[in-house]
Amino acid sequence: MIWQQLQSLAGSYPLALRGLGMTVVLSLISLVLGTLLGFGLGILRTGGNRLISGLIGAWVDLIRGTPFLVQIFLIFFILPEFGIELDAFTAGIIALTNLAACFICEIVVAGIRSVPTGQVEAALASGLSRWQRMRQVVLPQAMRIVLPPLVGQYVLLIKDSSVVSAIGLTDLTRVGWLVVQRVPNGLLVFFLVGVGYFIVCYPLIMLARRLERRMGAAHGEVQL
Amino acid sequence: MTKTGLTKTGMIDFRGVNKWFGSLNVLKDITLSVEPREVVVVCGPSGSGKSTLIRCVNGLETIKDGDLVVDGQRLGDPATNMTQLRTEIGFVFQAFNLYPHKTALENVTLAPIHVRKIPRAEAEKAGRELLAKVGLADKVNAYPAQLSGGQQQRVAIARCLGMRPKIMLFDEPTSALDPEMISEVLDVMVAVAEEGMTMMVVTHEMGFARKVAQRVVFMDAGAIVESGTPDEFFSHPKTDRSRAFLSKILRH
Repeated sequence: MIWQQLQSLAGSYPLALRGLGMTVVLSLISLVLGTLLGFGLGILRTGGNRLISGLIGAWVDLIRGTPFLVQIFLIFFILPEFGIELDAFTAGIIALTNLAACFICEIVVAGIRSVPTGQVEAALASGLSRWQRMRQVVLPQAMRIVLPPLVGQYVLLIKDSSVVSAIGLTDLTRVGWLVVQRVPNGLLVFFLVGVGYFIVCYPLIMLARRLERRMGAAHGEVQL
Repeated sequence: MTKTGLTKTGMIDFRGVNKWFGSLNVLKDITLSVEPREVVVVCGPSGSGKSTLIRCVNGLETIKDGDLVVDGQRLGDPATNMTQLRTEIGFVFQAFNLYPHKTALENVTLAPIHVRKIPRAEAEKAGRELLAKVGLADKVNAYPAQLSGGQQQRVAIARCLGMRPKIMLFDEPTSALDPEMISEVLDVMVAVAEEGMTMMVVTHEMGFARKVAQRVVFMDAGAIVESGTPDEFFSHPKTDRSRAFLSKILRH
């Protein structure tokens, strides 16, 4: 019987590949967009404008304090009530990007705040503009603190992407649900789904660990 | 212009400057004028406001009232572009504050390239010359962590000189150094002074003050208590407070 199930599973591998592909594409796009947005928000949050900083802080707290499933439902099912129709893929990207940006924002803020004030004063005293100070002096040093948890956050993001199956996107998790209807062995099917996520995440976990070890050795800027 | 009357001022002009940290009056009614090419040494017990005084000059601290005019521009005036003014003022920190992720040469060339918009090759040539001038020709590609304190401070001075400033401010530049490294930094400062730089130096290095300073300003509790030539000040201090201070630092 297990032999039959395995044969049947083997037949579903194109579907599994599609699911894995969807998971990777979703994660990758929102990871890139979320990183850009997260850095932007982090820089604005530390920028000295109390109103902007407060607004970003409130938004980050809101997103961090509500379940991702609820956020994705709000975007996919509630926004259409206000006339904003989104397909599942776009809704998934928006929800994941927003989630990633909020967590990354906090990581970036912690990194920026870890740079000694003397560094900013030295840059200020030599006449560097606000952006030059950020780009040339603060961010390169903040990256020491930012990189390891940033990569860790990517792992969390990839795993969180499984929630998008709830709005009908055929990602790896949803493929599991589809297959298990034909092959009634949940343990086996979802074990394989887990393996799929692990294959994507493990290299990142290794990278995060490596970065953490390298931080002590670098002169302050990280060479990847 | 306004009451500052920009005619015939010094390079740095404090007029009735006051500053508070909360309820603490850290600068009390400071009036002090530093002429072009003049070297003024500021000394006094810790907490007397001397660091705060020079940090006001390039706007690292803001003043509450009074006027502070630097290179003809009034600080706090909306018409004064602080970023622009800071390019004319070098500031040497007690803790060096070199950029740890950049080499000695990159530390020196960063502002000239990005602020002065000098072409990289030209900036690097000038940077190498400056590092050679402070005795670090062989450390061009070293990172700050690979340099001793004295070497780091000399790079920091070269970093300021790279901007060709009109004024140099030194905030206890040798206080964080091991004793054997103090003279190498002071030698560089003497050379800078002898080239005619306008300088305000917070230091207790009496040898340096005697050698290059035209004036010593003694501060206590946020106020300028005494001011005179190094010889007058060290040999014939006029107030009890300066005598007490001198007896403490000269005992060692």
